[in-house]
Amino acid sequence: MSIESVLTKIWLIAHREMHLFARRPMFLFSMIIVPVTSIILFTTVMGDGLPVNLPAGLVDEDDSSISRSLVRTMDAMAETELVARYPSFSEARHAMQRGEIYAFFHIPKGTAAKALSQRQPSIAFYTNEAFFLPGALLMKEMYLSSEMIGMSVNRSTMTAKGNTMRRAMVSVQPVALETHPLGNPWINYAILLCNIILPGVLILCILLSTSYTIGIEWKMETHLDLYRMGSQNPAIIMIGKLLPQTLLYMLIFLFMDVYLYKILCYPCHCAFWNMVLVGWLTIFAAQGLAIFVFALFPGMMRFAMSVCSLIGVVSMSISGYSFPTLAMDEYLQYIVNIFPLRHYYLIYVNQALNGYSILYVWANVAALMIMMLLPLLVYKRYNKVFTNYKYKP
Amino acid sequence: MLQKFLRIVSIAGHELYEIMHDQGVLTFILFLPLAYPLVYGAIYHNEAMMDVPTAVVDDSQSKTARDFARRLDATQGAKVIQFCTDMDEAEELMRQMKVFAIVHIPESFERDIQRERQTRVGLYINMASSLYYKSVVLAANMTVLDMNKDISLNYLGAGTKQQNRVSRQPVQYYYTPLYNTQSGFATFIMPPVLMLILQQTLLLGIGMSMGRARETYRRNLHTLHQLYQRPVEIIIGKSIPYFALYLIMAVYMFTFITRFFGLPALGDYVTYLAVIVPYLLACIFLGTVLSCLIYRREDCIMIFVALSVPMLFVSGVVWPASHEPAFWRYVSYCIPSTFGMHAYVRIHSMGASFADVYPEFRALWIQAIVYFAIACLLYRWRLSLVKKKLITLFEGDYENERLAI
Repeated sequence: MSIESVLTKIWLIAHREMHLFARRPMFLFSMIIVPVTSIILFTTVMGDGLPVNLPAGLVDEDDSSISRSLVRTMDAMAETELVARYPSFSEARHAMQRGEIYAFFHIPKGTAAKALSQRQPSIAFYTNEAFFLPGALLMKEMYLSSEMIGMSVNRSTMTAKGNTMRRAMVSVQPVALETHPLGNPWINYAILLCNIILPGVLILCILLSTSYTIGIEWKMETHLDLYRMGSQNPAIIMIGKLLPQTLLYMLIFLFMDVYLYKILCYPCHCAFWNMVLVGWLTIFAAQGLAIFVFALFPGMMRFAMSVCSLIGVVSMSISGYSFPTLAMDEYLQYIVNIFPLRHYYLIYVNQALNGYSILYVWANVAALMIMMLLPLLVYKRYNKVFTNYKYKP
Repeated sequence: MLQKFLRIVSIAGHELYEIMHDQGVLTFILFLPLAYPLVYGAIYHNEAMMDVPTAVVDDSQSKTARDFARRLDATQGAKVIQFCTDMDEAEELMRQMKVFAIVHIPESFERDIQRERQTRVGLYINMASSLYYKSVVLAANMTVLDMNKDISLNYLGAGTKQQNRVSRQPVQYYYTPLYNTQSGFATFIMPPVLMLILQQTLLLGIGMSMGRARETYRRNLHTLHQLYQRPVEIIIGKSIPYFALYLIMAVYMFTFITRFFGLPALGDYVTYLAVIVPYLLACIFLGTVLSCLIYRREDCIMIFVALSVPMLFVSGVVWPASHEPAFWRYVSYCIPSTFGMHAYVRIHSMGASFADVYPEFRALWIQAIVYFAIACLLYRWRLSLVKKKLITLFEGDYENERLAI
């Protein structure tokens, strides 16, 4: 077969595929609407980056200078906003159960008097950890505020004993901690999450639409026509069939990278095109995986699609960008390697977030390439799949 | 009245028969809700990121610096796995992802403390995951605070044991994480995900069942059997099998899954059932409405699966609802899982009473009624189209269709 005739055949199949798209709004939905809407949704929902002024409450039974200074300290903090005072602990708890506040302080009666007479009073604070993010943010600031009460008492003792203010201040905090969150100094949650969730949604859409568009041939019983059109060569058929969506997804990935790194200015410490190329490689890897999965369940479109959606959905939890893989059971740390998103995530951390040399993640790049080449394993099998199998509901 | 009831029962029976003979639908509504929670549980059940691998660059090489590293190692959040001679060596470990945090103790560390000057310890964290940050920052802050207290005792001058104890901590404080006592990830994410699984598998199951009906009965939503003439009866009848099955699934989530993974179980059974009834109804009727978009069995996977993650995010369980743009908040009000998740988390994780979840309860009933009405209208429209077609079509075609039943 000459190269020209191969190209003609690919073009013909691609042309046929585009006709298929035109007849089904389903493709439009999963290849354009879902990815683009998700890109806009996730970046705007987390548009604040880090939620500030989260509602918190106060149960102040003491009504003293200490409780007032605590209120001032808390109000000065970025993430806390004291929105309400409650007369008792149980009322504050009820407000929490209704979802009005995420945390509250409890200052019992006699706190100031005990502190002044060195009888070591105790205060308490509670956060609603059923809501992880607000709970964690408030907890950090409440710890700090509580510590500062003790510090201010000690500072007063120091100055009362005749020390200079400078010495008193140093005594409060002889060792200071300088925290450097690398690559994301604002602790921006949109940067932490969108960079991975969005490719995750895209991978899911790619896996689904690839297995759908292959499977539909068996469903419509046109697979034999296709087989003849591609002159019984699975490679020509797959390339022709996936060409239109591949180009579309490449465009969407490019759009996402432009939107994230150029318009929203998320940190990208590597060359911009590195991220685009990694994204494109991820598309090919996901397609390779989907072609491979379909060959395992020939004709069973529903089964292949279910497996693909399992891979796509679970990868969002298992990839380790929210809950680190290190904290999972050991066997999962091996299983995680079959998910393309995991490799994309590690390459992203290495490249865009930290700007290290790509040599450190060569294994992940290789893994994506292996996934891309998985269809070669089932090349021969596809001949049988085309000729011997029928659609099974 | 009795006839109406009998018609509904036989529609329900017919639907049940079809479900039982459709492997695809059965997988979605039986296998998925049973198995999926186990997958999520397996991923998250370790709850917290402990002992984040950390490298220490100790330029000071002093006793106090070693003490600092020891105290850091003793915390829950960080584990010192290597002492490095310089920052380059530590950064190399970070690049290889062997450590996720670097603590840099300056050369003048001990000298500064002895000279009563403030000294600064550097903490560098790989921001690959927010949990690395959370664990390490908390661990390092605790270490620093602990150390500071011991050092400040020297400034304050010697006192009695009791005096030292008091000046170490003039005001004591206690922190209690409520409803998720170990600040665990599974305890936080599993309860809302359980509700999302109920909704998504219902949508998939109903969608696939509709796809099958469309494929079997051509373009119509259902058979042309005489039973299927009144939209209200059709919808109620078709919903009964799903509702009955999912009531069991909901109890399975509430009891078995909760106990198996040790999730918080403060919930009251009656309150839960009171909320789950409108929740399931809202999901089923939403499924009925959306399934009008589905022409082929496999279409439902394409439509519903990719929406799961966005649905979780707009619900306000992960990202605080108060900080969500108003537009997305209103969008989330159209989805049953938004209220279902909030109600479930409050009831089961936080022990809320019925009065506390009344707003969600009301919202779910409103959704159920609205989606039911929309479904009825859609079915009526379909039926009238079919009738019109039948009138114009030849009588024989009608017979063919009837034979297909």
